[in-house]
Amino acid sequence: MLTVIVTGLAIGMLYASIALVYNVMFSTSKVLSVTTGHLSMVGGVFGAYIISVLHMHWLWGLLGAVLAGATFGWLTDVLAIRRVLARSDEHLWLLSTLALATMVQQGVGLWWGTEPKPFPRLITQEFGAGLMDQKFWLPIGMAIVMTIGLEFFYRKTMYGKVFIAMSEDAFAARARGVSTDKIRLLSYVLSGALGGLAGFAAGQLTFAFFALGHTLTLLGFIALAVGGLGSNIGALIGGAALGLLNSFASYYFGGEYQQTIAVGLLMVVLLIKPEGLLGAKNVRPV
Amino acid sequence: MSVMPAELQAINISKQFGGLSALDQVSLSLRPGEVHGLIGPNGSGKTTLLNLLSGYYQPTSGAIKLGDEDLSLASVQRRAAVGVARTFQKPRLLPMLSVLENATLGAWSHSESGFVASAVSLPSVAREDKKFLDQTTELLHGVGLGHVIHRRANLLDHAEQRFLEIARGLAMRPSFILLDEPAGGLTTQEIDHLSQVIHTLRSSGIGVLLVEHHTDFVFRISDRVTTLNVGKMIKHGASDEVRTDPEVIRVYLGA
Amino acid sequence: MNSQTTKTLSLLVGAILIAALPFWAGDQYQLHLAALIAVYWILIAGLNLVVGFTGQLSIGHVGLLSIGSYTFAILAGKMGIDPTLSVFVSGLLGGLCGLALGLPSLRLPGFYFAMATMAFSMIVNEIVLAQVDLTGGGIGLPGPMFPKPFDSPIGFYYLVTAIALFVTWLTWNIARRMWGRAFISIRDNPVAAQAVGVPVFKAKLLAFVFSGITAGVSGALFASLQSYITPDTFVFELSMFFFVCIIIGGRGSIIGPFLGTVVLTALPELVSPLAKLGNFFYGLLLLVVVLVVPEGIGRMFEIISERLRPRTVHREPITPDLNRLAKALKVRE
Repeated sequence: MLTVIVTGLAIGMLYASIALVYNVMFSTSKVLSVTTGHLSMVGGVFGAYIISVLHMHWLWGLLGAVLAGATFGWLTDVLAIRRVLARSDEHLWLLSTLALATMVQQGVGLWWGTEPKPFPRLITQEFGAGLMDQKFWLPIGMAIVMTIGLEFFYRKTMYGKVFIAMSEDAFAARARGVSTDKIRLLSYVLSGALGGLAGFAAGQLTFAFFALGHTLTLLGFIALAVGGLGSNIGALIGGAALGLLNSFASYYFGGEYQQTIAVGLLMVVLLIKPEGLLGAKNVRPV
Repeated sequence: MSVMPAELQAINISKQFGGLSALDQVSLSLRPGEVHGLIGPNGSGKTTLLNLLSGYYQPTSGAIKLGDEDLSLASVQRRAAVGVARTFQKPRLLPMLSVLENATLGAWSHSESGFVASAVSLPSVAREDKKFLDQTTELLHGVGLGHVIHRRANLLDHAEQRFLEIARGLAMRPSFILLDEPAGGLTTQEIDHLSQVIHTLRSSGIGVLLVEHHTDFVFRISDRVTTLNVGKMIKHGASDEVRTDPEVIRVYLGA
Repeated sequence: MNSQTTKTLSLLVGAILIAALPFWAGDQYQLHLAALIAVYWILIAGLNLVVGFTGQLSIGHVGLLSIGSYTFAILAGKMGIDPTLSVFVSGLLGGLCGLALGLPSLRLPGFYFAMATMAFSMIVNEIVLAQVDLTGGGIGLPGPMFPKPFDSPIGFYYLVTAIALFVTWLTWNIARRMWGRAFISIRDNPVAAQAVGVPVFKAKLLAFVFSGITAGVSGALFASLQSYITPDTFVFELSMFFFVCIIIGGRGSIIGPFLGTVVLTALPELVSPLAKLGNFFYGLLLLVVVLVVPEGIGRMFEIISERLRPRTVHREPITPDLNRLAKALKVRE
């Protein structure tokens, strides 16, 4: 039973991390990018590649994952967001990020292969370590570190405060001399790095698998929507709820209906409280 | 004899956004066949009142009525169906469709063609569509857009866009049309043409609410005028009375 | 020759080519490809109303295709029910599932809606894999053939082409009249749509249910054409493919997405390096189109022809014809 809980929390924290990534990107661009799940996928795959194939120390793997994620985040802004936001058509960014996400997923599939490959151990540990297995506490720890880190970033650093200013009123921020393009780019690079990190940390749970991209985009989004867009604590709660639900459902009903249950959860929450558990209500302007 | 024609009324309307009071106990009545000006400095609540009348906001207190029908909570679509049309400060057109198609959209609430009937192209659907297109063509010539009927809407200049919005509103066969700053960005000659069009609407029995910044223009063509300032009504009545009212003058000169 | 004559002539030539295709197509393989294009187009024509006209970005229609295919394979194959009836039921079920999906999700903002449709297709896939007794699970089911004269490749080609033409005719009728304008207003300016009285949610739902029906029918025919279906056939990337055909062809048109379907289905078959790239290519194409010509390739041709033969826009003043206006306003019916 405890295993079920811990497994659920662990995978849930991966979803929560992805929800955090969504929040960072959304804060400066008001865009929900389809590439979000793929950042983690890329982190996991590159990490596995560097450690298992290139036989380098896991720290290099970590660095590689972060760099890969950051680069991908940078690409997302430069290719899919920047030119598109300038145009008036609102949902073009959905198409461009979807296109980029597909390209990256398929590209990784072509290069890495379509079979999920095992992710290497980072710290020597017996496989029978049970609840203390690193594949559990790595993602959980990572999500907590990320949340605390982001809190610190937003409250104590200059850039963090600019992020918040931009998320509340981008127009006013620009009027005060903030280079919104640069800040947005920075936020995408940062969120890319975070995504890559999260994917790396959860690699032993998910395996290095190209097809994770779209799945994580969706599940991370469900965590985000349940917890409430814009709330990092909400992301943790949403992720935990989703992970635990999946885990318990697998245990009691077999793993066949995971997506169905995940979406069921989402639908229930959205119908009762559309802005999520901790999200803010939007005012609609005419 | 004829029944007293229905008025569109805002009765003691107040509107609050969070802690902010945008309108405080404002009343206004719009009669068929009259031009009613609504003026006030920026932030006076003109647009809020317009949005309340057309259904984009609900009043915090007070009522919106059309004749006997209480429209306070009625949807925007319901108001369109009972004959309340509006234009927007920034024209809201469909850029990839022609002027004619854009304007004909206004006839939507008069269409009786269901989805399935349209899919199989029943003769009644074809007839109805032709009728709407013909009627809209007349309206477009009427407001002066006959020369651009088939031009795509994103190729129109500013004035043409404004007149197209009006034409679309007229295609709704409204009893009342609420114009949101229609003279913005128009040349003097275009404003003249606009006045003529509004005058024709008036003589056709349509009630026109004219929200505007060009106070000369408003006083010239309105029958009655209501003036707002910081959410309160400061003067309403016949155009000449309001124009010479000392407080109205103070608000505008001081603003 | 004016543009109207050109259009009619091109359509006529196209119709003749389509009707005579079994005789000029090179081999069975190309005939199969043509039938596949027709089957895809049945789904895409319906989806076009959702994506291209009402502007709802549904990326989960492969789920509805799957439902149609499995319904047909189970009814006509396993249960031996008449294939024609089975097609009808597939269409109906597709429509019902479209309703079930659309009701809760069409109220959601763009990204949420897209995710909901993606989730739907993943759920369908899960259920198909899980219900092994019904669907054969990972092994799949055979797709039965139609009775004579549609059991031959040529006969089947004419069957699906006829259905495709019928569906095209339906969507064309919708597009060019009031419903088409209403749909486009939902896509391009929902505030304006409301202002003229368009029931925005109901209209979106109608388009969505219609697209569910066409997807169901398409799925049934797809199962028969491919003769065997497995869950692997119905991957998310197929949803993307449908979607890309419409965006590339150009939203708001019927012929654009049709040409998009033809080109994107045939291209990987004809240009084999592209086949290896597979879905990467579709992603790349979508990105390029979105960045360069978001209104679709059709618009790109327009831009090019305007550069070559610039049409000066004559600016005339706005001169109201007040008598005409007064007369027009008097008409009250």
